[in-house]
Amino acid sequence: MKKSIGDNMIPKDWGFDRGLELVKRAGFDGIELWLGDVPWFQMTTTDAQVRELRRKVESAGLVVSNVSTGLHWATPLSARDPTVRAQAARIVERQIETAGLLGTDAILVVAGLVTEEVPYNEVYQRCVDALKPLGDKAARAGVKIGCENCNSEQRFLLSPREFTQFLNDINSPAVGLHLDVGNIHDTGFAEQWIEIHGPRITRIHLKDVLKHRGRSGDQSVYTNLFLGDNNWPAIRAAMTKVGYDGWLIAEMEARYRYAPDQQFFDTSQAMDRLISGRL
Amino acid sequence: MDLTRREFLGVTAGAVGMMTLPQQPGAAAEPRSEGFQRWWTFYSDPNTYDCESMRGYWSALSPQPSWSSAGDPDRFARLSLLIVPYVVSLLPGFLECVTYALQRGTTVVIESGAGFADHRTFRRHRCWLRENLGVRVVSPRDPWAKQSPAGARYIEFTWPRRVKIRDFSRVVPPADGAGDDVIAWAGDLAVATRRRVGKGTLIYLGSPVGPSLWAGDVEARRWLHAVAHAA
Repeated sequence: MKKSIGDNMIPKDWGFDRGLELVKRAGFDGIELWLGDVPWFQMTTTDAQVRELRRKVESAGLVVSNVSTGLHWATPLSARDPTVRAQAARIVERQIETAGLLGTDAILVVAGLVTEEVPYNEVYQRCVDALKPLGDKAARAGVKIGCENCNSEQRFLLSPREFTQFLNDINSPAVGLHLDVGNIHDTGFAEQWIEIHGPRITRIHLKDVLKHRGRSGDQSVYTNLFLGDNNWPAIRAAMTKVGYDGWLIAEMEARYRYAPDQQFFDTSQAMDRLISGRL
Repeated sequence: MDLTRREFLGVTAGAVGMMTLPQQPGAAAEPRSEGFQRWWTFYSDPNTYDCESMRGYWSALSPQPSWSSAGDPDRFARLSLLIVPYVVSLLPGFLECVTYALQRGTTVVIESGAGFADHRTFRRHRCWLRENLGVRVVSPRDPWAKQSPAGARYIEFTWPRRVKIRDFSRVVPPADGAGDDVIAWAGDLAVATRRRVGKGTLIYLGSPVGPSLWAGDVEARRWLHAVAHAA
């Protein structure tokens, strides 16, 4: 397995170049690029500029593990407004295009958003409808779309079997699951998601979650590896059972009040322990 | 006696409905899929073909309907029910078919597709409805915007049967004082109307029903089937 971390973890005032140095020094093999979430990688970033990003990544001794985006939280594929849906689809298309330019074969998509206003059945239908043609485009580009399980935030696809049905309904070999082991909270167990989805997992996001403490105001329930309630030995065993040997990508919130770069080193070492099974 | 506008119009719309529309055999029955073919087809501008609303009507009125984007007025005049899903405006030739069908006795459902439209598109929609169908509407709005906390977002239909159907965030309400029978409400806001035109009936939906049909809403299907029976 290989280790990666998101470029949105890079301290705001560090910039991309210095951030890459940090990622490399901390022992990561790759970097996850977040379209729209960082100043150097936006929807307006040209192909030439994307190629330059790749050059910088490779010059730093890294590779791009995948292309993610947080843009679908504000512009979901499940929006009722067809104009917004078209924008959302365009974001996925740009992810597919840039994945090719960056030399990676996976993207992360937050597929839909159930709200008080837009009910579950509509969201489900729209996401299936949107992802079928996008899956075709991804397949032609040699890219896999990983739909992330953002269980609590999306209020969508809350169980692993439901997610299976969703992927079955999309029925595209280019659309799978980008599993986040921290997002499951009290709705299940990450190791069971891994067992059920096995070969459909495109990438795995790592973070820990404070399952039993809940959310208070704007406080996050997410924390660094091994500080929360995930059963890491069980998660590791499930990866072995299904033969997952792909990218592990650190995706925690920047929680360090001082010495933010230290989080990169601590996380990298924790991931080494997870990969080696010394838990 | 204190009656809100909604209560008053709701009662009178129901009364008019019973007087002017003969009860069809089985009108109160549960939805059934067979036997609808002579009652409906689809007719819309090319931009709305294959939209989710259109697919909603398709799914609710199986077997799969024919649809058309070409105009043969006589063909449409023989129908009982003609649905125009999620429409902003129709080309003149298609409009002619709709108005001809209305004159000959068809029930025509015009579903507004301008809830999310920009101002310019909405103005075109409003103008088209007013000049061609005599339907006056006002700007799109979120009927629950002033409601805090937001409660249940249901459109309550009172005709041809009482059902509650999920709203679609934005409605294009009929203008006050238009004189039509109000058949659906979002809270106290009228969102759908019915009126006799020639020998036919024109139903205006300011809140789309098609997306709810598409999402499998049972109440929406019941409402549509009741309209088909009444037509």
